[in-house]
Amino acid sequence: MNEGKRGRAVRYLLVILVMFFIIAPFYWIYSSSLKVSTEIVAQSPTLFPESITFGHYANLLSSSDYPIYLTNSAIVSFATMVITVVLSTSAAYGLYRLPFPGRKTIYRLILLAYIFPGSLLLIPLYVMLSRLNLLDTQLALVIINVTFAAPFSVWLLKAFFASIPFELEEAASLDGASWLQTLLLVVLPLASPGVASVAIFAFITSWTEYMFASVLIISDANRTLPVGLAGIIGQYVIDWGLLLAGAGATTLPIILLFVLIGRFFVNGLLEGGVKA
Amino acid sequence: MGIFLVAPLVIWLVATIAYPIFSLIRLSFLDVGVIGTGGEFVGLDNYQRVLNSRAFWPSMGRSVVWVLGNGLLQTVLAFVAALVLNLPFRGRALARTWVILPWIVPAVVAVIVWKWMLGTSGGVVNMILLRLGLIQEQVGFFSTGNTAMASLVGINSWRFFPLLTIIILAGMQGIPKDRYDAAGVDGASAWQRFINITIPGLKPVLFVMGLVGTLWSVNIFDVIYLVTGGGPSRATLTMPVLIYDMAFLQYRLGRAAAAAVLMAVAVTIFTVAFIYFLAPGSEEEDEEWG
Repeated sequence: MNEGKRGRAVRYLLVILVMFFIIAPFYWIYSSSLKVSTEIVAQSPTLFPESITFGHYANLLSSSDYPIYLTNSAIVSFATMVITVVLSTSAAYGLYRLPFPGRKTIYRLILLAYIFPGSLLLIPLYVMLSRLNLLDTQLALVIINVTFAAPFSVWLLKAFFASIPFELEEAASLDGASWLQTLLLVVLPLASPGVASVAIFAFITSWTEYMFASVLIISDANRTLPVGLAGIIGQYVIDWGLLLAGAGATTLPIILLFVLIGRFFVNGLLEGGVKA
Repeated sequence: MGIFLVAPLVIWLVATIAYPIFSLIRLSFLDVGVIGTGGEFVGLDNYQRVLNSRAFWPSMGRSVVWVLGNGLLQTVLAFVAALVLNLPFRGRALARTWVILPWIVPAVVAVIVWKWMLGTSGGVVNMILLRLGLIQEQVGFFSTGNTAMASLVGINSWRFFPLLTIIILAGMQGIPKDRYDAAGVDGASAWQRFINITIPGLKPVLFVMGLVGTLWSVNIFDVIYLVTGGGPSRATLTMPVLIYDMAFLQYRLGRAAAAAVLMAVAVTIFTVAFIYFLAPGSEEEDEEWG
């Protein structure tokens, strides 16, 4: 396994190229959002801002509806996250730890639910939610987002549950613990990276959802970030500074979440991928 | 006990997926325009109108082009990225975490940054290509049908290849190391090891990727709608955009439902064929469930 300095250099060069392709657009969002408007639309773009301004961010927060969209997105995403975590951990515990007849079929049906195209469900869900008088409510978005986040979450939890020894649960039940106590006090703490992964996945699913939000929400006061931002793109004259600041500010919470628990999330995907 | 814990999720999904699918089929036989109007049973009228419309078959064709283009580009990108991130290097865990970033940001953010980087006034991609002498004048990436479609495939692939990269990396972890060691003893080249060990070892993963990836990408709406809205002159009008337009811009819910059902039929035929011809054996899965 001896390789020369050249091999090493090539290896690092390849890694840098791959990561550049991933990261460069984000650098471009943030560095440009700090430029003054004339520099942003200059015919030959500058790699670094010539002078740094936070004016676009100030604009975003003071003279656009961005704060409203942000609040709405936060509420919808948080509610989606909580409901998804409860539904999917309880389902995963039932499926993977408490054998019952037909569970394999149910597992497959849940997976099938995940691949169901959203554009197929858009029309009937729109009709259903309008019959229930839920159009233009945040509840409607929460219902939809849980539907799209929960099935994948159940799959993601499989690997985490599989790594917990059954003996621990047996010991707990010998000590007289109920299934709920066993789940909450023994299993969930051990599966906490999995639960964190599910939480982050549900949050992100909701934070990024566009299609349903664009149809189900009618009033500006209930709009979420993706649809709100898209509204700025659609304007006749695009204020790129504002738009880039909006894109940067919308991405920031995801990056922060990822700094904290991204590791568990990707590990969960890697583990799940092996077991699937 | 287990079944009671699964029940809430199952009930939720029946209400939000199974029932809507049933009501979509019902709707496709009704004369509904704006929601709450009409509702008469019109038999196959919606289907006839959709099948005879000028937009339907071209949109189906574009969806096929869309799926093939994305499938090809994403597979190539994901394999390159996975092979590189599987090499030993410092900071590997960090790189493997952050590679997923494009997949987790909102489509609208990807749209904003790429639309701007590929733009003709101050677009950085045009500037780089000009300076490198690869082009003589600015390219309008979204101005002709073919370039718009290609640009959209590129943007969407940038968003989705990270997930495929992770899936391939996961599959690579599952290949026993001693197979590579044995090949090393036999003096197999890196390319031979890739073809004879990595690819066969990835078969189950590639199967899932091909199936799920196709179903996902056929369904992509947001990127296309936000960048081109289906234009220029319908060149990027794929099935999901067509259905959305029919339902929410032209207010023809019944007809849009029929188009959605037709798309579902096409996707189902593809899925069944894919599984029938390409499914690897399922012994491993049975073993795991005991």
